[in-house]
Amino acid sequence: MSNTRVSRRQFLNYTLMGVGGFMASGMLMPMIRFAVDPVLEAGAAGDYIPTSQKVSELTEEPVRVDFTYDQVDGWYESEVTGTAWVYKEGDKVVALSPVCKHLGCTVNWAGDSAHPNQFFCPCHAGRYEKNGQNVPGTPPTGPLDEFDVKIEDDLLYLGATKPNTLI
Amino acid sequence: MNWTANDLDLYMQQQEYIDTAIIPLVHIGSGGAMKQSASSAEFLMNLAAFIERQFKGRVVLFPPFSYTDGNDKSRLASEWSASISDMPFKHVFHLTTDPSWSREGIIPDAIWIPSIPLESMDKKLKQSVLEDQVRQIIPVLTARWTSE
Repeated sequence: MSNTRVSRRQFLNYTLMGVGGFMASGMLMPMIRFAVDPVLEAGAAGDYIPTSQKVSELTEEPVRVDFTYDQVDGWYESEVTGTAWVYKEGDKVVALSPVCKHLGCTVNWAGDSAHPNQFFCPCHAGRYEKNGQNVPGTPPTGPLDEFDVKIEDDLLYLGATKPNTLI
Repeated sequence: MNWTANDLDLYMQQQEYIDTAIIPLVHIGSGGAMKQSASSAEFLMNLAAFIERQFKGRVVLFPPFSYTDGNDKSRLASEWSASISDMPFKHVFHLTTDPSWSREGIIPDAIWIPSIPLESMDKKLKQSVLEDQVRQIIPVLTARWTSE
């Protein structure tokens, strides 16, 4: 048995402090949790879509890379197939969006036999250089968009599109 | 462009560039022909969506025009084309898996595509089959575009 005596006053003090502390923290914890919640939210790392393209097989010639993802639009759920034109620039992998900046057709590499080293849009004969720069005098008003690129185990992952950074 | 409000807004602003209507003609069979016609419709709508993606800035993909065996095709076609010709489209392409439209001369320039059953294919195969079909249709479209 301990020989320090706890007085009635001390005992009540400790008890009240303990219970009060619990009540205060019960109120404050959710508040703090809500306040810092945006900071704790997981980053959008899952937005990269895997493709079956091996990075080691890429060359300086753009190749078509297809990828699929689910899209929910209202109640209409569909599997969308996206495309990118991917090539190597030195050691850097460049993935360009095939969506024409004019009215959204799909552009093709070397689609026009008269211009074998350009992207060609079959709708209104828009043309782009290999780096996505639109050829002046053709309908497109801006360069092709670029994909964020991630490489994991020699496989290519494509992220969100961003304005062209090569020009 | 698809037949949605947003796409048609864009169409209104860019009518000089978007000059082509694509109208899928879908047959709805009855009785034993139901499954066969569903399979054809599935194929045709997949194909139409693919063409729309390729030529988004030049075509408007119409909602499928469906008909049954009981419909009088030549009457349907004349009523339908009368309304379409009021719209400012320079080219109207009818896509169908039903050969009778062009064979009987109802819509002589309807683009007939033999139906391929897609239901038993996996995704990759389906995609490559459709790609092959689209590759065959593209010259037909571009020939008509450049002929005028």
